[in-house]
Amino acid sequence: MIIRIDEYSDVPIYMQIRNQIVMGISSGELKGGEQLPTVRSLALEIGINTMTVSKTYQLLKQEGYIMTDRKNGARVRDNIAQSGVISEENKTELRRIVSESRLSGVSKETLKKLIDEFY
Amino acid sequence: MTWLIKVIMFVCIVPTVILMYMLGFSRNPGRKKMILGVRDNPKFHEGEGGKKFDAIVDSARKGGLIITAAVVIMSIIMMFMPVNGTTLLTWILLVFALFLVVVPYGKGNTELKNLKKELGITKSGVTYTDITNTNVVHALKLPWIFLPNALALIGTVAAVLIDLGVIGLDVASEKYALTLMSISFLFVGVIMVPIAILMDNTRNMVISRDSNINANYSRAKKKTWADLFIAMSWANALCLIAYDIVLVFTSSETAVLAGTVLYSAVIMAIVIIGVITQQQVERRYDRDTELELQDDDDNWILGLFYYNPNDTRLNVEKRLGYGGTVNVAHPAGKVIMIISAVIIIGSIVFLIYMGATGQFDESVMINKP
Repeated sequence: MIIRIDEYSDVPIYMQIRNQIVMGISSGELKGGEQLPTVRSLALEIGINTMTVSKTYQLLKQEGYIMTDRKNGARVRDNIAQSGVISEENKTELRRIVSESRLSGVSKETLKKLIDEFY
Repeated sequence: MTWLIKVIMFVCIVPTVILMYMLGFSRNPGRKKMILGVRDNPKFHEGEGGKKFDAIVDSARKGGLIITAAVVIMSIIMMFMPVNGTTLLTWILLVFALFLVVVPYGKGNTELKNLKKELGITKSGVTYTDITNTNVVHALKLPWIFLPNALALIGTVAAVLIDLGVIGLDVASEKYALTLMSISFLFVGVIMVPIAILMDNTRNMVISRDSNINANYSRAKKKTWADLFIAMSWANALCLIAYDIVLVFTSSETAVLAGTVLYSAVIMAIVIIGVITQQQVERRYDRDTELELQDDDDNWILGLFYYNPNDTRLNVEKRLGYGGTVNVAHPAGKVIMIISAVIIIGSIVFLIYMGATGQFDESVMINKP
């Protein structure tokens, strides 16, 4: 799985990595039980501080997407807890995207098609 | 016998300078990912920018060609000169003159970076990392590089024991010549081990969205490096053993120098094969390249020295030539660079001092049969 880091983005690097790992799990690129690189090797590969990767893994663990232990390192969770609700944060983000799309003249149908494509 | 010294110097200098020229100054800059250590860009090949680009590349190529030709012609002339202190110093200074080839390269690199700014080419700041391949793509099999060094160590221990008289052999060569020769070869072999490991641990290149292509590309590149270091280690160890045997039975300088000619030729052949293989790998994966490489041109001082405080890696792939270099912004990189600079500058100063005080002449007189 390829991770794209944009050093000029407003989104912090740890969040960029987190978002792409979540997208990878959702799309099936990263399967349940799949081993993730160690904090050190991923930091070396990207060329960033180990603390940044550690922060990403802690966040992913907190959110229930991955599990970590000393022996096996980080792995994608086999069964990710499904609450069935969209978080307030994501709702706000979605509202912003819908608003911007409407102002740009994007039709509701196009947006729905995009959601179907990404879902 | 002194003609062998000239052959050794010729075999070391001429192929190296030609190789440096060929690697640094491409004949078809439009087809390469990197030109004079700067990433290619479509804007370099259109309109006014294209003309300026061609002028910079042509000027650098001409500069490189003049220096290369000068070194080659000088080496040919030196082949017809008698070996004395002055010509010996000239040969050694010719080795250091190899570094002059990088002058037009560095100048061209700076001019191209300025042209980028002029054409409004800004760096994207995007890096790709393939997390599937992190820390799993390696090509170096450690026993294959440890084995020749173990052999070299055995040879060195044997040499020390012979020189100390523990092993009762009548050595034909001078006292401790065997030990000194063996330790020199062992040192070269041992120094290759960490370099080979560092090269095997360089970052995996991401050229495609397909992880398999990325893994195969990185593995192929690392394999050429691993093969190069393993072949050099074996050549080094076998040469040490051969010298040990030769020096026990003979003190003939001709035999030693003939061995050095052979050793230099083998090392040169290994390097040339390595470079050709690497170029074949690049050509093979050129059509699979779909992702833009990270634009870190500004972090390459003169296209030669990598300085990036935001990059935590120590070793990166070189832009000129073959192999890797260190990130000068890394604390260990700073130490390595300072030590290298001290060794190179110190050697030049020392050799000039030797030449000025006539010590080379004395050495040549002593070694005359």
